[in-house]
Amino acid sequence: MSFEQYVVETLKTVVFPGFVFIFFLSLFYEWFDRKFYARLQNRVGPLYTGFYGLLQPLADFIKLLSKEDIVPKKVDPLLFTMTPLFTLALSIFATLLLPILSNQGIVSFNGDVIVSILILTFICITVFYAGLSTYNRYAVIGAERLFLQMIGYEIPLTLSVVGVALSAQSLLLSDIVLSQERWWYILGPQALGFIVFVFAAQAELERIPFDLPEAEQEIIAGWNIDYSGRRLAMFRLARNIELVFLCGLATTFFLGGPLGPTIEGYTPLFYTFYFVVKSLFVLAVLTVVRALFARLRIDQVESFCWKYLLPLALFQFVLVRLIL
Amino acid sequence: MSTFDIPIGPMHPALPEPLLLKLELEGETVVGVDFDVSYMHRGIEKLLEAKTYFQGLPLVERICGICNAAHGLCYTLNVEKLYDKEIPPRAQYLRLVVEELSRIHSHLLWLGIAAFEIGFNTMFMYTWRDREAVMDMLEAITGNRVTTEYSQIGGVRRDIPPNLADKLLKTMDIVEERTKYYVKVALSERTIAKRTQGVGYLSPEDAKATCAVGPVLRASGVKNDIRADDPYAAHADVPFNVITYDTCDVFARIVVRAQELFECVNMIRTAMKNLPQGPFRVKLPMKPNAGEALTRVEAPRGELFHYTLSEGALKPYRYKVRTPTLANLGALRSMLTSKGRYVVNIGDVPISYGSIDPCICCTARVHLFDLKKGKSWVWTLDELRERSKRGKLLP
Repeated sequence: MSFEQYVVETLKTVVFPGFVFIFFLSLFYEWFDRKFYARLQNRVGPLYTGFYGLLQPLADFIKLLSKEDIVPKKVDPLLFTMTPLFTLALSIFATLLLPILSNQGIVSFNGDVIVSILILTFICITVFYAGLSTYNRYAVIGAERLFLQMIGYEIPLTLSVVGVALSAQSLLLSDIVLSQERWWYILGPQALGFIVFVFAAQAELERIPFDLPEAEQEIIAGWNIDYSGRRLAMFRLARNIELVFLCGLATTFFLGGPLGPTIEGYTPLFYTFYFVVKSLFVLAVLTVVRALFARLRIDQVESFCWKYLLPLALFQFVLVRLIL
Repeated sequence: MSTFDIPIGPMHPALPEPLLLKLELEGETVVGVDFDVSYMHRGIEKLLEAKTYFQGLPLVERICGICNAAHGLCYTLNVEKLYDKEIPPRAQYLRLVVEELSRIHSHLLWLGIAAFEIGFNTMFMYTWRDREAVMDMLEAITGNRVTTEYSQIGGVRRDIPPNLADKLLKTMDIVEERTKYYVKVALSERTIAKRTQGVGYLSPEDAKATCAVGPVLRASGVKNDIRADDPYAAHADVPFNVITYDTCDVFARIVVRAQELFECVNMIRTAMKNLPQGPFRVKLPMKPNAGEALTRVEAPRGELFHYTLSEGALKPYRYKVRTPTLANLGALRSMLTSKGRYVVNIGDVPISYGSIDPCICCTARVHLFDLKKGKSWVWTLDELRERSKRGKLLP
């Protein structure tokens, strides 16, 4: 690798479309989510910080970073410090898999489809440990719920992706993108998979109707009750980046990734634009789901996942198999 | 399986007011519950003894921020019983109008809270937005949004002029239309049904045994409404239906409160149509006759009870208030305990608790302090009984 290539690759990883870009994109997505949610509820949402409150998530982030660093006496200090870092690291790494500039992510290897799902599970397990490490009763209940929920949505999520991988005949994200050059998967039988994916993503992100692990009215903040200051900031950032990752993943699997008509020479810019627009569409769907429902109970989450999501995912899988 | 205790409150996001629910859990199942309401004792009854009857009204209005119209009405009706004077019928009608308006605002507020307790924030925002129309109306009629102090001893504070009456009727149309929409949402939305049907079960027998009141009792299928059973303001002349529902769960409480909104709207319309002419207030002397008076009023949350003992002086000798939430706490305990096949999940606790429309700061009554010894305690029923036998509690 020549020096120039080395510089370009480093810039790609660190600045665009790597860490810095993803950081600001995640803040923008949080703003979009909050604003759209607020408008759906007839509220104004973030308004004063920046253009239509665009800087509000950044302001929140900086404010949290500057807060007092509280470590409760009875926590497990190692886990308490490491889990926010791990969660953030995992979610940032995950976004490197996303194809944004071209049909290929910054990191691309055979089997990255599986890795992308695996990372989601890893994040979930890290958060579980984050909850347990505080020994708080609410946090323990929250962590318990998180795990129960994961048992519910994990399998349908994986199955919904299997249908896509099967159609593309590949476990490479770039191949999946390329195979959608003519026809997006959301327009085929994989639309069922998209529905499953959206609900599973909602559960993964702990948003209504699946926000039980941090249900405010029931167990206050659930697993993150004892986290404050910069640790909480890291968790929130990790959640936002995970939001970008899941929206991006849905775009990659079902909406043709960043592909679209381009002008010669400006392809990466166009691709980035398409990626953002498509994933914003996914985010809008997620937000509407969040605004439409009430929170389910833990037994209802389980029965919803096993009775509806799983059969739907299996049905999609069979349908795809038949068409092939 | 071993149990572990989890406290909900006294400071908790689901509870706007300080109440401590001590839950005993097996996993996520509640097997035992105990509560403590004495975090908000304000000594209002004692304060009332130090104020004249006319000065007492603003204080009584502040017992509760939401059912203050009912408290004010109950107080004035109660004190008026000590005088031998007829209160003009126009005042009684106007009292009814404001009371029903505040009931609409309270029920809409509760619908929002209930939606919030089950995580349905969108409905919460919508109901609270439409509640503003009612609040504006209250402000236009009484001059205040929250503590209205409309009902005065001897009548009401001011009249409703004709142009305001038209505006009121228009607002009622808006409220009716929006309520229809909320009823539709509450009845057809699957997640609401899932979270509320079969939750917080209170059988009619339990409801009667625990002396539940108001919408909680009516949702258990018991027809009981002070407005119908013991008409006070102009309720004898303004017809309405007592809404009951027979599924005895949180869902029933939603339905009962939502249907009551329609009744309120109709009552206001009828009252405004039949509004008698004449004065809206009579002057009463500062000192009432000696004697006792007891009044019951159907507050938005249920039966409200005021008692006064007068010696014919400027100030009451004893004033006693019993709020509906206190009466419903026994029912809450019954709702929150798992029994047999009926299991209470920890996720059901906030909505079950919310379904009695609790108002804790109206409720806390007696808390005893001994400053010299530095301890505080609450008397149990048996101790109170003992003391009353010894004559220590009586004047």
